[in-house]
Amino acid sequence: MNPSEAPSTVPPPRKARRIPGWAVGALGVAGAVVLLSTTSYLTDVPQLTSTGTIQTAVRLALPILLAALGGLWAERAGVVNIGLEGMMIMGTWGAAWAGYQWGPWAALVAAAVFGALGGLLHAIATVTFGVNHIVSGVAINLLGAGLTKYLSTLIFFPLSNNPRESPAVPKFDTYSASGLSDWLGELEAQQRVGLSDVAGILRGLVTGVSPLTMLAILLVIGSYLVLWRTRFGLRLRSCGENPVAAESLGVNVYWYKYVAVIGSGALAGIGGAALVLNPGQPGYLEGQTNGRGFIGLAAMIFGNWRPGGLLGGAALFGYADGLQLRSGGKTFLALIYGAVLLLVVIVIWQLVRRRWFAAAFGILAAGLLYAVYYSVDEVPSELTTYAPHLVTLIVLAVASQRLRMPAADGVVYRRG
Amino acid sequence: MSTTTPAVVLSGITKRFPGVVANSDVHLSVQVGEVHALCGENGAGKSTLMKILYGMQQPDEGTIEVAGEQVRFRTPADAIKAGIGMVHQHFMLADNLTVQENVVLGAESLHGIGGKARKRILELADATGLTVDPGVLVERLGVADRQRVEILKVLYRGAKVIILDEPTAVLVPQEVDELFATLRGMKEQGFTFLFISHKLDEVRAIADSVTIIRRGTTVGTADPKAVSSRQLAEMMVGSELPSPETRESTVTDRVVLKVENLGLVAAEGTRPVLDDIDLVVRAGEIVGIAGVEGNGQTELVETIMGMRKAHHGRVLLGDRDLTRLGTLARREAGIGYIPEDRHRQGLLLTQPLWANRILGHQTRRPVSNGQWLDLAGAKQDTKRIVEDFDVRTPGIDVAAVALSGGNQQKLVVGRELSGDPVLLIASHPTRGVDVGAQALIWDEIRNARARGLAVLLISADLDELIGLSDTIRVMLRGRLVADADPATVTPEDLGSAMTGATSAEQASESEGE
Repeated sequence: MNPSEAPSTVPPPRKARRIPGWAVGALGVAGAVVLLSTTSYLTDVPQLTSTGTIQTAVRLALPILLAALGGLWAERAGVVNIGLEGMMIMGTWGAAWAGYQWGPWAALVAAAVFGALGGLLHAIATVTFGVNHIVSGVAINLLGAGLTKYLSTLIFFPLSNNPRESPAVPKFDTYSASGLSDWLGELEAQQRVGLSDVAGILRGLVTGVSPLTMLAILLVIGSYLVLWRTRFGLRLRSCGENPVAAESLGVNVYWYKYVAVIGSGALAGIGGAALVLNPGQPGYLEGQTNGRGFIGLAAMIFGNWRPGGLLGGAALFGYADGLQLRSGGKTFLALIYGAVLLLVVIVIWQLVRRRWFAAAFGILAAGLLYAVYYSVDEVPSELTTYAPHLVTLIVLAVASQRLRMPAADGVVYRRG
Repeated sequence: MSTTTPAVVLSGITKRFPGVVANSDVHLSVQVGEVHALCGENGAGKSTLMKILYGMQQPDEGTIEVAGEQVRFRTPADAIKAGIGMVHQHFMLADNLTVQENVVLGAESLHGIGGKARKRILELADATGLTVDPGVLVERLGVADRQRVEILKVLYRGAKVIILDEPTAVLVPQEVDELFATLRGMKEQGFTFLFISHKLDEVRAIADSVTIIRRGTTVGTADPKAVSSRQLAEMMVGSELPSPETRESTVTDRVVLKVENLGLVAAEGTRPVLDDIDLVVRAGEIVGIAGVEGNGQTELVETIMGMRKAHHGRVLLGDRDLTRLGTLARREAGIGYIPEDRHRQGLLLTQPLWANRILGHQTRRPVSNGQWLDLAGAKQDTKRIVEDFDVRTPGIDVAAVALSGGNQQKLVVGRELSGDPVLLIASHPTRGVDVGAQALIWDEIRNARARGLAVLLISADLDELIGLSDTIRVMLRGRLVADADPATVTPEDLGSAMTGATSAEQASESEGE
């Protein structure tokens, strides 16, 4: 409201309670499981927590997770990377090109290299030439789509007789914790309330795990350790918070931004590889990413620019995607019922805190959703396809209120 | 450490920028364990000199000696290695990082970034008076603590000579006292300070010796205990010190601006920023507001302009109540406004001069006909301003950023005096401008006053206030606490009234209206 930025001498009041991040995560996971098993019980749709759904969700969450990680690296160094989508597309092409010739590990490496090239381009434009980050990112998205179209016509068409598709790419072998998985399978088959749901979710997480999944989890943990626990990470984050101060302390801001954005591209590229190496897909397909780079960006924002948070965001979007892909309209309707339950909880919470307006709004939204649930038997398939996008929209609209982005994110920095 | 070897000696330093000589033949000698003040007006070249000492810029001529040895600094890192640290006027801190992260950034090789660094920070924090946990985010700290973090950063790197660039500009008086106590304590421990300031009372309070810099060159060193503020001020400005000459008064009885009982609260539960302000400015009168920066002057001006919403009270222009009007309507009612920061509020730096002429006048002739802008009229009138106000520019189509500070300010003053305002609010009208522009702006304000304009003048430059004003009101912690007669008041008296240590003959209750 007030225009003057005169520094206030009064320190802002301390937050009353401080819950550590891991506790918030654990609470969130527990809450999600309770919500899902309740919904699954009340609507009699066991697919909500079935092993198959969770497996699909994990597979679909992977590209989003990797793109989000890419976004995290760039934005922590102060470069908005809306070009994730384009870098991901380049990754899918690179993965297919190397993958059909030399196998999945080569696909992974090539995807990272192709994505990193996109990142390099973004870094040159934004860091060296001071181009607006959004403009450069959009250009890279267009370039990624155009370039891969050209390259696949040139290289894949003679092999697959289809300019939009690559030859089949060999996939990773998957691994299961067999004893545990069988035992969980029995539990799930017993259809006991709550217990079977938890068993189904756990079984989905330990059955048919691709090395890519393990790699992605390692990358999340690794990103946290590197960015928050090393001198390199501190310097990188300082470039996203106050590059002028960082430079005055001898940090080579340009170099760190370059490293971050190139790494960001490589991660997005691996995200593309995760799509190509998904067992459900033959290989590269034009338009395969379908906005997942943007959804990854949304997952990162939802996760408040933190690795743990973006893991949650990617899981949410992957789940919404997996559910619609696997079981269609009926299960999606059950999810709407779940949303109504969630809103009821939120409304009660708001009432306790005496926030009448928010509570009234929540009641209205819950009523509307329930009306939808009550009046239709099945959500039309045209709509369920957009489930992840819809969830993105709603989650961002609700969650973006209290987020804290890096202070100098998106600001073009000029040395001197 | 022998006391006969000075900590820092600068000799014959000269630094030229295209078109200006920022420093010429500067000599400065700082003893170990003293607080050495560097005094000079804005634009006198203090900051350039310190940037040279800190390695941010290289001198064209001259030498730097640290502890008896001649050195050459190419980057700040070289200066840090030689034991020189700098606390910038604008804090170089990342709000979303913790105190510890801010301190160790760039110096991770000393003690890492973990527990050892934390231990070292806690050891050093005592000296600076910082009591917060190093794991706290900087955004939770107040201004005074942020400054301690800045000092801590410098200490952590092992500095023995610390440059403080206008450290008190952002502090309230109590915080200034605390800072001075910290500095005295650290001085005992053998640290040396270079204290840059143009606030003479503070210099006299803390410094062991003073070097005066004027127009890029050092004009002498003095013992602050032995000279008066007046003498220091004369050394600072040379013969240019505006003397409050007797001028014929143009003050009339017609009240132009009347502020009644104005109050403003920044945040619930805090001290009001403006507390029951009553103020009258008459036609042909210049009312000066004196005060240490941060005592509510900015907020007062912005509330009168309608940029902030008053919590209570009224603002009247003539007989018209402006309290509920927006800023544009207030400007249309006849208020001209020279903002305190021309870059942030006064100009669009990338736009041509004639586009800047339109700002704030977009609904009025000659730059507008009803709904459409009159570009030809705007250009015509910009030419008039450029001529009348001696704005040195290659043309009216150049971007405002291409002009020097003084010429930018002349353009702003010209614009704000256009369209026959009845009231001019001038916030630091000559801050950071050269002497020529300063004289011209003063003349224009005096001429406008003679034509019957009412002027509310806010300035940190006490001589400007005394020289221009017909009445001076002193502002402290959001209240108008005292009046002064510019014909008799001295800068010292005004200075002590501003800090609350009011001498009896100057303090009278706010005059009843």
